[in-house]
Amino acid sequence: MEKILIVEDDETLRDELSNLLSNSGYEVLVLTDFKNSKEEIIKFNPDLILLDINIPYLNGEVLLKNLRDDKVNTPVIMLTSSNKTIDEVLSISYGADDYITKPYNPTILLLRINNIFKRMKKSFDYLEYDDLKIYPNKGIVVKDEEEFYLTKNEMLIFTYLLNNRGSIVNRDDLMSYLWNSDLYINDNALTVNISRLRGKLYDMGYRDVIVTRKGEGYLLK
Amino acid sequence: MKLSTYLKDKLYAFLIFTIYIIILILFLIALKLTSSIIIFITAFTVAVFFIILFYDYFRKRKFYEELLDKLYSLDKKYLLIEMLLEPNFLEGKILYDVLDEVNKNEHDLISKLKNKQEDFKEYIELWIHEVKLPLASLTLINRKDKNTLRELKRIEDDVEQILYYVRCENANNDYLIKEWNLDTIIKNVALRNKDDLLALDIDFKVDNCNLKVLTDSKWLEFIINQIVSNSIKYKKDKDSIIEITGEDSDDFVTITIYDNGKGISKSDLPRVFNKTFTGNNGRTLSSKSTGMGLYLCKELCNKLGHKIEIDSKVNEYTKVIITIYKKGLYNLGG
Repeated sequence: MEKILIVEDDETLRDELSNLLSNSGYEVLVLTDFKNSKEEIIKFNPDLILLDINIPYLNGEVLLKNLRDDKVNTPVIMLTSSNKTIDEVLSISYGADDYITKPYNPTILLLRINNIFKRMKKSFDYLEYDDLKIYPNKGIVVKDEEEFYLTKNEMLIFTYLLNNRGSIVNRDDLMSYLWNSDLYINDNALTVNISRLRGKLYDMGYRDVIVTRKGEGYLLK
Repeated sequence: MKLSTYLKDKLYAFLIFTIYIIILILFLIALKLTSSIIIFITAFTVAVFFIILFYDYFRKRKFYEELLDKLYSLDKKYLLIEMLLEPNFLEGKILYDVLDEVNKNEHDLISKLKNKQEDFKEYIELWIHEVKLPLASLTLINRKDKNTLRELKRIEDDVEQILYYVRCENANNDYLIKEWNLDTIIKNVALRNKDDLLALDIDFKVDNCNLKVLTDSKWLEFIINQIVSNSIKYKKDKDSIIEITGEDSDDFVTITIYDNGKGISKSDLPRVFNKTFTGNNGRTLSSKSTGMGLYLCKELCNKLGHKIEIDSKVNEYTKVIITIYKKGLYNLGG
């Protein structure tokens, strides 16, 4: 389980954030002693840091710079209520991996966190689903040397379902994921794409593997 | 300062002098002097009088002509005093000192107001920073509740509008022009409006926006978000489309935001960028328009050196075109 450290001084926000993250299956650590924040962070040894800019004692940007100067290369997402471009540019130049302004869409936040973890892991150029090999970048699925083509939409839907295999994927989260990938499709188009994907999986010999749960979402068996 | 007007102004001196000359001549006659001596003394006195008068005239003319000349040619008239040399005669000195004093006083007042405005701006920025914390908490707490989220988004948008209003009304420019990817900026706008677009079944299309633009990403995001929000607000009842298209040319990039909504009437069109102008659409809608959105877009575009134009036909379409100039070509309108 990945460890995420929240560096945020507003208590309510911190609690809600840790609530959201632990519900999404992360181990959540919380920094409460801002006096020795750098040493505390190094002691916690998290996999990812969510860092607010406006924190007591040391400004988040400076803290980030100090961490990077000490060769702490933990990925950092800046969470801030400042929407000045200069803050974003400064944070990125100090070594932040992403920059999100408050109030943030929870789904998008989770997606961005997930993106960073995905980038950290050794990226395979293919995913596996039973005896299917899926190449997301090429847009093809291979079964017994036979190639099946998926459109960009279908591929994104399939990989998202696959990454959450066995659990119900909320239709809204799936939508956010697609929009976050520059695919601005509407409800009807999503339904159409899912049924096309079902059709293609059927051609590959997988029948009824995508289950619709009324009012909840989809499930890949 | 004309000689004739100057002399007219000195009429009292002429009168006194004439009386003096008459008394002088009578006096000299009474002394039984020869007429040639009388004429000589009179002529000499008259000459001295005119020498004094003309000397005074030319000395003053130099100062006052310079004063008027600079007054009419100066763009910022309050700088007048800085452009003048201190005159060497009494009335001039008095005028100079008065102008200087008035100027200083005005200056103090202006800097006091400027400080006040700056304080106000800082307070607003701080306040917005603060209010975003509970907004962020509420967004997380209500993440399952679509209706609450939508209301929260409305608050967020309104709060943001104040922030940009304060920023664009102020002299100091806290933006940063840099190369940004247009796609990313549009994606942020799309994600912000995703729930509305889906709930209202509006087709959102983006075409050819994988372009680099020289702008401030946050400001441009705000501008495009205002326009898209308007498109959502004034949509048609069915088959609504919002389409954002980028176009790259040698000197500039244009972004066209098209919608097939209610449109703007011809009489309203030239005034939509005016402050607090609400127009026909803004007044008839259930949620009243503040008339600030497009005004802010225009102001921010001016500051960034972008151009913004609007075209529309009632019940057919509205098209907003933003032109972003490439390196070296943008001229900052201030």
